[in-house]
Amino acid sequence: MTGAPIPQPLCRFQAASKWYGPVIGLNDLTWDLPPGITGLVGHNGAGKSTLIKLLTGQLRPSLGRVLVRGHRAWTAAARRHIGYCPDVDAFYEEMSGRAFVRMLARLHGFSSKTARERTDDVLDQVDMAERADRPLGSYSKGMRQRIKLAQALVHNPDLIVLDEPLNGVDPVGRVELIRLFRSLADRGKSLLISSHILDEMDTLADQILFICRGRMLASGSLDEIRALLDDHPLKVRIAAPRARQLAAELLRLESVRSAALESEGQLLLEVQRPKEFFGPLAAAVAEQACDVQRLQVIDASTEAIFDYLMETAKRPR
Amino acid sequence: MDKNWAADFLGRLSASWHLLGVSLRRLLWSRQTIISAVLVVLAGVAAYAWARDRQRQPSDFVEEVLLTVYVPFLLPILCLSYATAGIATDRDEQTLVYLVTSPLPRPFIFLAKAAAALVLSLAWTMGTLALLAGIAGKPGLEVFRAVWPGLFWATVAYVCLFQVFSVAFRRATIYALGYALFLETLIGNMPGIVKRLAISFYARCLIFDASAAFDVGPSGPFNELLFQPLPAATAYTILYAASAGLLLLGLVIFCTREY
Repeated sequence: MTGAPIPQPLCRFQAASKWYGPVIGLNDLTWDLPPGITGLVGHNGAGKSTLIKLLTGQLRPSLGRVLVRGHRAWTAAARRHIGYCPDVDAFYEEMSGRAFVRMLARLHGFSSKTARERTDDVLDQVDMAERADRPLGSYSKGMRQRIKLAQALVHNPDLIVLDEPLNGVDPVGRVELIRLFRSLADRGKSLLISSHILDEMDTLADQILFICRGRMLASGSLDEIRALLDDHPLKVRIAAPRARQLAAELLRLESVRSAALESEGQLLLEVQRPKEFFGPLAAAVAEQACDVQRLQVIDASTEAIFDYLMETAKRPR
Repeated sequence: MDKNWAADFLGRLSASWHLLGVSLRRLLWSRQTIISAVLVVLAGVAAYAWARDRQRQPSDFVEEVLLTVYVPFLLPILCLSYATAGIATDRDEQTLVYLVTSPLPRPFIFLAKAAAALVLSLAWTMGTLALLAGIAGKPGLEVFRAVWPGLFWATVAYVCLFQVFSVAFRRATIYALGYALFLETLIGNMPGIVKRLAISFYARCLIFDASAAFDVGPSGPFNELLFQPLPAATAYTILYAASAGLLLLGLVIFCTREY
């Protein structure tokens, strides 16, 4: 009996480690890249660049394997599936943006005609179609970022690796590019985005990979990771006119660890098991006929979770 | 499957051909071309002054132009200016990342870059030789016809050597200049067999062999006993082997190195 072939995961790290002499860049990482947008978060020197370089075939793992669609990431076969937008601001400055993207399309093996068509298409996607004929040396930082993005998309890859793609892009441009990333993810592409602007990860990423000193601290959606942080109760701020009565009611719940009245009409709760909290909260609010004006989870952002993870990682075992 | 493999290979060849064209254009419109042009113009002016001074013989051209200026200075400098620029410039300017993350296999990238450097280096070295010979007049042209094959292969060997510098070192041009102007001169003029490590030694052996009809040989500073020339066939064989070996070495370094 023969079944359908099991599809290879798009990207898989199998106990991958990378040393630079005595310095460890990435330590025993086992991880599969999920579909959608994945944020890569870590301090400088945490191993983000090493991970990206291993994935894009610029480095080879010292131990373990990095596979892209079943091919070792170092090989040309793997690189067909990857579009890479590097963080370095380097180009063939004398070329126009269009010529640069077209040249890289040709390096993917496309004929002159196809390369021209694909170039026009991706320049349109990154909103550079009208401005792509000037020499790259005359571009603003934001325009250069867009050209880098265009060259990463030109061969329609399954996996797009973006290293600080929003650096130097103005706020309007950021919104446009984030919308583009989302539309790529919706079309079934996987995106791995490294960024030090953690606020953007909250809205951008479907899941986050947190790394520190070459090790994976956590991976998954923010909600999943937040729920695992037992030592750090979720902080929920509620603005309601009869906050004191509501606090008394909520303190009866097992999941509520503490309640503090920040001001008249504003309550700060510490919640231990968020999944068990929000249902009874709704019931309590209904029972009290309380007019909740605002409900805000204040430490479930990427930044807050990252801080908690770092705190946990530094704690002696 | 064979059809796929063939289509894949043809796609890669086409991509390499494109990279060769891009590399040729970028090298041609670079500061290396300006430096080479300045050097060749200066050499041409010097040759012109030398040629109009008195009636010259082919042996004068060999000894006073080829062995004094062309082989020890112009030939390696013209070769290294392009050969070290190809990959090393991409590396120094951080644009190599676009090439090594493309699906074009590294051997194809290396060979396309090396071919671009070789084409331009040969154009400059052979063109300069022809220019100097033309300026020197009839004796120069007679020598040109005899010596160009040897100098062609010396150019190939130099380009292959400097390609190794290009993939192995950052700031490859500085290392290559140090090698060409000091180490190669030092090794090439040492007594005994140590000089056989220098490409210029084989270039001179081939010049002596080809210029035998003009009564030129390792006399004076190139004393026969001191110089110990090799037969042309051996010198050619060593240049072919050195070129192939150095090209392979550069290829292996580029294909295995993490940039």
